[in-house]
Amino acid sequence: MTFTLNREQNITKDTKPRRISDGMFAVLLAAPGLALLLAVVVYPLVTALVTAFFKQSLVLPGREFVGLQNIVDILTGDFARLLGQTLVFTLGTTIFPFIIGMALALALNTRIPGGKTLRGLMLLPWLIPGVVVSFLWMWIFNANYGVMNALLQALGVISEPQAWLAQPTTAMIAVIVAKTWQSFPWMMVMLLAGLQTVPKELHEAAEIDGAGTIRRFFSITVPQIRGIIGLVLLLEFIWNFQHFDIIYVLTGGGPAGSTQTFATAVYDTAFHGFDLGHAGALGLLWMILLMGLVVVYVRFSEKGEK
Amino acid sequence: MTLTELPTPATTTETPMSTATPRQRRANPLRSESRGVRISAWIAVIICGGFALLPIYWLLATSLTPRTEVFAFPPRLWPSEISFEAYASLVNNPTLFTYLGNSVIVSVVTAVLSVLVSAYMGYSFSKFRYRGRRSLMYFVLASQMFPQALLLVTLYTVFAAYNLLNTYTALVLSFTTFTLPLCVWMLKGFFDTIPDELIEAARVDGASRLRIIHSIILPLSAPGLIAAGLFAFVRGWNDFVFALTLAGPDKQTLPPGLVNTYIGEASTAWPELMAASLVVSLPVAIAFIALQRFLVGGMTAGAVKG
Repeated sequence: MTFTLNREQNITKDTKPRRISDGMFAVLLAAPGLALLLAVVVYPLVTALVTAFFKQSLVLPGREFVGLQNIVDILTGDFARLLGQTLVFTLGTTIFPFIIGMALALALNTRIPGGKTLRGLMLLPWLIPGVVVSFLWMWIFNANYGVMNALLQALGVISEPQAWLAQPTTAMIAVIVAKTWQSFPWMMVMLLAGLQTVPKELHEAAEIDGAGTIRRFFSITVPQIRGIIGLVLLLEFIWNFQHFDIIYVLTGGGPAGSTQTFATAVYDTAFHGFDLGHAGALGLLWMILLMGLVVVYVRFSEKGEK
Repeated sequence: MTLTELPTPATTTETPMSTATPRQRRANPLRSESRGVRISAWIAVIICGGFALLPIYWLLATSLTPRTEVFAFPPRLWPSEISFEAYASLVNNPTLFTYLGNSVIVSVVTAVLSVLVSAYMGYSFSKFRYRGRRSLMYFVLASQMFPQALLLVTLYTVFAAYNLLNTYTALVLSFTTFTLPLCVWMLKGFFDTIPDELIEAARVDGASRLRIIHSIILPLSAPGLIAAGLFAFVRGWNDFVFALTLAGPDKQTLPPGLVNTYIGEASTAWPELMAASLVVSLPVAIAFIALQRFLVGGMTAGAVKG
C-alpha cells in the first residue's frame, strides 16, 4: 500500500514540472555560453578570415575582392621573418619557464622548510598584470639607469651599459626574459601537482635497487608525469605563440620590427596601418599554424579524459 | 634482489640519523632525501627564487625612492630614505581614479556574469548526456586557442556596427567569453564530483531541475564558483589589449590607462609608475594568496587526472 502510494507520488511529481525534455533543458543551460562564443569568437574569426581576400580599410567603408593577392603579399613579404621571430620568442618562453618551473617544483616537492610560503611567493610574478610585468622589466632594462646594466657590469658580464631595448638581439632577449618571469610560476604549480601524484613507493623501491637521484628522476619521475609535462609544454607553446601584451608594451615590436610576432604584426597592420585585408591574410596564415597545435591539444585532452 | 643498500654518491652518503637534527628529520620524512638532494633543492630555490623575487623587490624599492635619487647610475640598491611622494602623487591624479573605477566595474561584472554562464554550461556538460555534447565541450576548450589579436580586429568592427565601442558592455562581453573555456571546464570538474544519487534524491522529493541547480549544486560547489569568479575577475582586471582598443579614455581600465599616462613621455616618472603598478597588482595578489588552496586545486584538477 505504502509502496504504491509512493510510486504514484513519484510519477506525478517527477513528470509534472517537466514540459521540456532533459536533453532540451541541457542545451538551454549551455545556450548562453554558446551564444557568447558564437558572437565573440566564431563570428569575428570567420569575418576576419574572409577579409583576407578583400582590400578593406578599418576606417573607410566598402571593400573590393582581390582573391589571393593579400596572402601572396604577405608570403613574399614579411612572413618568413615574422615566423622566425615568433618561433624564437615562443620556444624561448616555453623552454626557460619549463626549466625554472621544473627546478622549483622538484625543490618544493622535497618539503624544504617554508615550502608553502615559498610557493605562494613564487606565484607573485604570475599574478601581476602583463602590463606591470612590462613596466617593471622596462625599468630593469633601462639603458641609462637600469639595474640590469649595473648588475651585469658588477659581475663582469658586460663591459659597458647596453641599450637593451634599442638593439634587435638584446630586445628579443629582454622580451623573452620578461615573459619567462611571468610564465614560470604556472609551470611550477602544474609540475608540482604532477610530482605529488608520483607514488613514493616507486622511489623507495628504486632507491633500494640502487638507483641514484638523477637516475630516478629520468626513470621514474619523468615517465610518471609525462602527461603533465606534455600538457604544460603544449599549452605554454600555444599561448606564447599568440602572446601580445608584454611584447607590445616593452618594445612595441621594435627596434626595426625585430621583436614583432604574428600577434603584434596583425594588431599593427589593422590598427596602425588600418589595413584589414593584410591583417586578415596574416591572421589566416597564423591560424593555419595554430590549428595544427590546437588539434594536438584537443587530442591530448581527450586522451586525458579517458 | 636482497635488501642490501647499494649506496650511490648522490643519494646515500650518511644515514639521516647522523646528519639531521630531530627537527630536520620531521621536516624531511622521506629517507631518500639525502643531503645532496637537499643541497640541490636549496640551490634551485635560491637561484630561481632570486629571479622570481628580486624584480618584485625592485618594484617596491623604486616606488619608495625619492624622485631625485632614481636617476643615478649605478642605481642605489636601497633608497637613502623611504619616500611616499610617488604614492601621494597617485592620489592627486583624478584620471587614475576614473581608470580604477572602470577596472572595478568591468572586472566585477565580468566575474558575476562568467560564473553564471559557465556554471549553467558546466552543469549541462557534467550531468546530462546528449548528442553533440562532446563536440561542444571540445569546441569550448579549443576556443581559447584562437588568436585574440585577430579576433580583436573584427570584434572592433562588430562592436562599432552596434555602437558598442567605448562601452562597458563591449569589454564585459569579450572578457566573459574568454573566461568560459577555463571556467566551464573547472566547474564541470567540480560538478562531476557531486554524486548523481543526490540529484536523483532531490528529484524524487519533487525539486525542479532549476531548483536542484540553485539549491543543491551551486551551494555544494562554492569553492569552485569562487575560484572561477576570481579567475574571471583577474581576466578583466589584467587585460590590456581589449581595453586599449575597444574603449576610449573615459571607459579604459587601469592597464591601458597606465600605459597612456606614463609611457612615451620624455622621461618616465619611474617611482610613480612603479607605485601605480604595485597598487594595480595588489588586489589580485591578495585575493590569490587568500584563496590559494581553492585556486591551486582548481587550476590543476582537470590536468593531473590524465
